[in-house]
Amino acid sequence: MAAPSLQADPNAASQQHIRRMRRRALLALRYVILIALALLFLFPILWSFINSIKLPAEALAVPPTYLPSEISLQNYEELTTYGKIGIAQHVYNSAIVALITVAGSIVLSTLGGYGFARFDFPLKNVLFILVLSTLMIPFQSILIPLFVMIVQVDLHDTLFGLALVYITFQLPFGIFLMRNSFLAVPHEIEESALLDGCSSLSILYRLMLRLVLPGIVTVAIYAFINSWNEFLAALIFMSDQDNFTLPVFLTTIRYGIWGDVNWGALQAGVIVTIIPSLGIFLALQRYYMDGLMGGAVKN
Amino acid sequence: MSSAILNLSWEQRRKLTGLLFVTPTVAFVMVFFIVPLIMTVYMSFHDWPLFGERAFTGLENYQELSNDRQYRKSLDFTFRYTVLVTPPIFILGFILASLVRRNIPYIGIFRTIFFLPVVIGLGVSSLLWVWMLDDRIGVFNKILLDFNLVPKAQLFLGRPNTAMNVVILSVVWKTVGFTMILLLAGLQAIPDELYESAEVDGAGYFRKLVYITLPLMRRFIALALILSVIGSVLSFDQFYIMTRGGPRNSTISIVYWIFNNSFTYFKMGYGAAMSIVLLGILVALTGAQLYVLREKE
Amino acid sequence: MSSRKALFLVLAIALVLGSLPVTAQDDQINMTMWVRSIPFQTQALVDEWNANNDSQVELTVIPSGEFVTKMGAAIAAGEPPDIASIDLIYTPAFAAAGQLVDITEYVRALPYADDLTPAHMELGMYEGRNYAVPTGVDGSFIIYNIDLFEQAGLDPDNPPSTWDEMLEAARAINALGDDIYGYWFSMGCSGCNAFTFLPFIWASGGDVLSDDYSEATITSDPIVREALEFYNTIWEEGLVPEGASIDDGSNFVSAFAGGNIGMSGTGNFAIAGYTTDHPDLNFGVFHIPGKDGGAASFGGGDVIAIASGTEHVDEAWRFIEWTMSEEAQIEIYAANGQIPVRLELVDNKYFEGDERQKTAASALAVGHTPYTTVYNDLFNDPNGPWLEMLQVAILDGDIDGALELGQERFTQIMEG
Repeated sequence: MAAPSLQADPNAASQQHIRRMRRRALLALRYVILIALALLFLFPILWSFINSIKLPAEALAVPPTYLPSEISLQNYEELTTYGKIGIAQHVYNSAIVALITVAGSIVLSTLGGYGFARFDFPLKNVLFILVLSTLMIPFQSILIPLFVMIVQVDLHDTLFGLALVYITFQLPFGIFLMRNSFLAVPHEIEESALLDGCSSLSILYRLMLRLVLPGIVTVAIYAFINSWNEFLAALIFMSDQDNFTLPVFLTTIRYGIWGDVNWGALQAGVIVTIIPSLGIFLALQRYYMDGLMGGAVKN
Repeated sequence: MSSAILNLSWEQRRKLTGLLFVTPTVAFVMVFFIVPLIMTVYMSFHDWPLFGERAFTGLENYQELSNDRQYRKSLDFTFRYTVLVTPPIFILGFILASLVRRNIPYIGIFRTIFFLPVVIGLGVSSLLWVWMLDDRIGVFNKILLDFNLVPKAQLFLGRPNTAMNVVILSVVWKTVGFTMILLLAGLQAIPDELYESAEVDGAGYFRKLVYITLPLMRRFIALALILSVIGSVLSFDQFYIMTRGGPRNSTISIVYWIFNNSFTYFKMGYGAAMSIVLLGILVALTGAQLYVLREKE
Repeated sequence: MSSRKALFLVLAIALVLGSLPVTAQDDQINMTMWVRSIPFQTQALVDEWNANNDSQVELTVIPSGEFVTKMGAAIAAGEPPDIASIDLIYTPAFAAAGQLVDITEYVRALPYADDLTPAHMELGMYEGRNYAVPTGVDGSFIIYNIDLFEQAGLDPDNPPSTWDEMLEAARAINALGDDIYGYWFSMGCSGCNAFTFLPFIWASGGDVLSDDYSEATITSDPIVREALEFYNTIWEEGLVPEGASIDDGSNFVSAFAGGNIGMSGTGNFAIAGYTTDHPDLNFGVFHIPGKDGGAASFGGGDVIAIASGTEHVDEAWRFIEWTMSEEAQIEIYAANGQIPVRLELVDNKYFEGDERQKTAASALAVGHTPYTTVYNDLFNDPNGPWLEMLQVAILDGDIDGALELGQERFTQIMEG
């Protein structure tokens, strides 16, 4: 819509004015709807937080109170000794599992992605299709044999065993993403280094890693968030309470001891559990979205 | 040995190096995907208790499926759940995507807020919701009672119909941001000029939606739907935590029933047979996904 | 470049932490013991033992609902605890699978072997051998609020002894006010209702399983239908709070403590809590009656066993034997209001003058416990046929459908 000179036509000017007003009103309406929806979306998290800072007795009140009569960190303090082990152990468990998963996913995805992107070797296509076809196999359908295998090699009820399983879940996506990252790097950069006589590994280490760092960060974020949040496998693979990851630990608070569910402590636990994944997501949002687009849409 | 490698040509060394790079990954995939897959098939032909003697039983596990009342109920429930949860996720996702499409000031904040629940674990979000839905200490009943919208506290999770509905509500909250982002990518890929020329022709909102938006977003829509359907077919956390499969065992999903048989009743062979059926359903769904995505290229 | 270094640092830390050895080495015998989360006296026992012995017992509490899953997984993984305090109904299943140590010789050497609670000893046997001894003894009965009985014009000294009398009492109490209810059941809790509802059937001469536990008798035994109709009446007439229909056991004990419930099925484990935490609660107990009289009780509780694979069988037995000693049974069990596992010790200084404790203990005399290796799958599993049958019959009123469903799923599991 080209805007011709309007001064000459007062009628047109007022029409444009009306249109502008209308557009402003629509924009205002859009913001009102957005803000209302945003409050609805934030409500469960905010409500959980509000209850976590109530006094433990108030968090159990029937009916509940909207706002705390007194702000208290007692629910968090109770968590530190909950179930005799305390939440610190479970944070540690979750963190270790997540770190091993992140480390393993990065190493395996980077090596595999580099190999598939930059080298020609026999059976390359077959192997790549093999790796990618595992995207079709949901881990829920192979949990039974995985359990049998993990037990067989004595890794049941260990943080390392659980992390191995999580690395497996991350691999197809990770390799796919890293292969694309390496493919996006111009060949010339690598060739000049090759001519200088660098070995493939040192090219990867000295040169390529920096160029594909965004991809690595994406793989790391997904590995972290997925392993940090995973529930079903952790429920099956961990039997000793000392080894429970945070989500499984939280369900033990939920079921409590007969007649004694500590709802305040549960909300404090929920907050402790969601802060790391929210924090990492907020800090590295761009990489997360890249992964979502790259992994889900572009393949 | 080492001299043999040194004697290889540059080409051959490149090939060997490439193979070495992918070996750990491929080995991992073989050990943790391919072997378990074969094992699932193998186990499904056995009476395989969690501990104790195993015995070959042929097709017995598969025959038992037809006698298992709860299995049929779980298949039916999972199907109904999937059919009921997909439309709200999609429609709300589409509305949100339309709302945050234009780059108006602060729009990034809204996109982030709508997406936030996606990075919270489903297990944790289910714990959050089961508490909010409680009849005594839950905030929903508190609000409904304070505004006189209900005569007495509602047992949301106590009746099969309402239990399904409130679980759907919680899952929509948790996952709609994901669908929103997918559809947003689709919306943003449509050139503005198309809408502008349609407006010149006097097209209203619905004509634009039907003739421009939906057809051009076909691929993104299909992807969003398929991913949402796959997620629903595989659901477990929300039912294990929010309803424990109740009331009247009306909310036991397929994965939940596999979990129960394998790890509570210790019938792992039977669980494996059900896993094979589940796998069949999913391969069909993912096949559909790959087909849709391939179409454009 | 610094971001790359940071990345490698993270990798290195992860790998180092992941491979750290966590075992501490010393010569002391450390035994692990698992117990389900139910307020028995186990913690007090373990503390007392650890304070006076070189060997140490480390207690792990497993949520009741997950005990079988966790124990099964630990056994499958070859890492069971040394000692397990198991809900007695699971003993046949674990013994049949060869996961418990045969302790027949140890048991025979006990001078008081014949005096241990018979239901628990029976459940602890498999093919004529002993695998477990009692460690927590509990029979089910009905607890009633004496104050509410008086307000409703009922005679608290003559509590109901038939179903009709129970219904009448419940109606009278229900009429006292909007927030007062005649009865309580936890209809979202499978185990609670095996414990407190099955005895109604037994006391009337019926059962859901045949005498040899080989088949289900849900559709063939008319008493089952009548008992379901009895509870259905309680629900339809609003004699229980609505929340009872979904209670997963969280309020199985605490509901009655509110003081607004006339009667509730319960067990001895709850009594101690009521007397200490709610001294104002004025309550009595009576046996679970049959339709026209009689009495029955679910012989529940826990047995203690040694898991196969432990290196400390003798030391584990030394601990177990000590838990049954007169000292432990009187000063830890009875002193905390728990029934001793040796019948001769029921008459002790702590129980003297408390009729409630005596009635509770005498419930064991009419106690009965189903002996089946699939007990968990039938009764205790929250997704099992027992609870589903009760909910469909009692809450939905579809008694025919419930009976048919129960019979079909019971049979499928028992033939399994």
